[in-house]
Amino acid sequence: MNKIKLGLPSKGRLKDESIKLFSSKNLNIQNTNSRNYFFNFEGNDNFDGIFLHAREIIERISDGTLDAGISGLDLLMELPDEYQNNIKILKKLDFGFADLVVAVPNDWLDIQNIADLEEVSFEFKEKYNRRMRVATKYPKLTEEFLLSRGVIEFKIVGSLGATESYPFTGSAELITDITSTGSTLKENNLRIISDGKILKSSACLLVSKKFKGKELDIFR
Amino acid sequence: MSKALINKKNKENISKKILNIFKKKGFDFIDLDIVIDTDLLTRRSGEGFKKYALNFRDKSGKEISLRPDLTIATAIQYIQSKKTGTAKLSYFGSAFRLNKKGDLNVFDQIGCEIINSKSSPEYLVLSTVLSVFKKFKKNKITVNDLGLFQGLINSLNLPQRWKLRLIRHYSRKEYFDELLKRLDTNYDLDNEKIKIDYDRLEVLKKMDFNKMIGSRSVKEIIERFEKKIKDPRDNFKGSQSVKIIKDFLKLNMPLSKSANTIKKFVEKNNLKIKNISQILLKLNNLNKKLGLNKDIIFDTKFGRETQYYTGFAFSVCRQNRELARGGEYNNLIKTLGGKQTPAFGAAIYLNQLI
Repeated sequence: MNKIKLGLPSKGRLKDESIKLFSSKNLNIQNTNSRNYFFNFEGNDNFDGIFLHAREIIERISDGTLDAGISGLDLLMELPDEYQNNIKILKKLDFGFADLVVAVPNDWLDIQNIADLEEVSFEFKEKYNRRMRVATKYPKLTEEFLLSRGVIEFKIVGSLGATESYPFTGSAELITDITSTGSTLKENNLRIISDGKILKSSACLLVSKKFKGKELDIFR
Repeated sequence: MSKALINKKNKENISKKILNIFKKKGFDFIDLDIVIDTDLLTRRSGEGFKKYALNFRDKSGKEISLRPDLTIATAIQYIQSKKTGTAKLSYFGSAFRLNKKGDLNVFDQIGCEIINSKSSPEYLVLSTVLSVFKKFKKNKITVNDLGLFQGLINSLNLPQRWKLRLIRHYSRKEYFDELLKRLDTNYDLDNEKIKIDYDRLEVLKKMDFNKMIGSRSVKEIIERFEKKIKDPRDNFKGSQSVKIIKDFLKLNMPLSKSANTIKKFVEKNNLKIKNISQILLKLNNLNKKLGLNKDIIFDTKFGRETQYYTGFAFSVCRQNRELARGGEYNNLIKTLGGKQTPAFGAAIYLNQLI
């Protein structure tokens, strides 16, 4: 029998919670503290495990290198549709909760909702002869969301980190970012607009659509 | 000879004939650039338009697109030529667009455009296009004046921001319908939030008004906040306006009856539409010039999906195939970086003719 190739997140709370989840099903990882990227479960030979970056887990399930893995819904949804065609969400898990939201400078009192943002984006273009810039690590989801809400006058600025700083450094006017409590946004003088939730994300158990085994049904 | 080659020859022969007709009517042929600065496209139609164009990056990293539309290419050429007088231009070439699935569609078009005309150009363009099809019978012609919709919205009892929203999104049917639903229920401002923001407003008022917050000045933010809360919000009749808009978009009649029907609609709803008499006069004149042709339909919905149309628009169809389409686009040249310039043009779709 072919072993199930499983990918788990390589760091942080996502890693810890994933290990806990498998333990709850009596699948205890043998070498949790090792620097070795590969792992196996005690007394169970059905799995070949590897710790990877959460995004890479999705890439490898999609290209068939892995059969299953744990990663964030936000990361899956941000990738081109082709990935969602190759991957099935077996279960949305009870950890890794975070929302992808639209946030503006706190002092933009006149912007409460997307309708305001849409209006101001037109005024901004008229006044400054350029489009409002939205800094984000999630260009695809951001673009789809804004366009679906009638905000068409914007330009995406790709960000790799510290996105919250962009409106105050002149690199962008507003941002979209992932947040679980909203405190980082608040500390950086940003405010989530009232109907600006793009995606409610959590960790997910993902499997390749080609995977036909039943071993992971215990998580359903 | 292969089918493709026969098609090509046919297209060339037809296009020569059509361009000759255009030449006789005083249109000068121009050769259009095949690539367009992507920024100009998004400046006109917003970021979403990029997914319908085939985009590349040049060596400097600048984004360029294969022209998705020949009217835009003509307008750009007009701006670059720095001409100021009236220009009567014709062109022939392909437009490249991606469909929703991402497949490339190539449209061969022949068109004529009148830019910066001192007189009403709609009859000249429409009659020029119709002269191409004069041998064909059973053409169905649909016309509309999109300026009428704008006038209707501006005459309604609505907050200014709602009027602007409805006009801006008229071309996006799905979103426009969603806006009508929202307007029906007057959903817009969150009064609880406004109370909290009033406290912050006092803080903002003490700041330097020129201070920039996220590229917007304190003055700009305060002004818009105050304007927004003063705009009528609880007492405007959203649902009544929605009914008028929906009824207006159902109007569909022969051109010969359009002026009368629209006049009755305006009177019945007690609307004060600016320029209504000029629009009705234009429709009456057009009807007289074109003859009392029963096949010309006035449809208030027609042409809305072409974002840059601002006034009169038309299409010629035969057996459910659109052979030609044209309209007035008075803001396009300004959006693309030129001066405010009136313009009117039409394109004949060669793929549909062969």
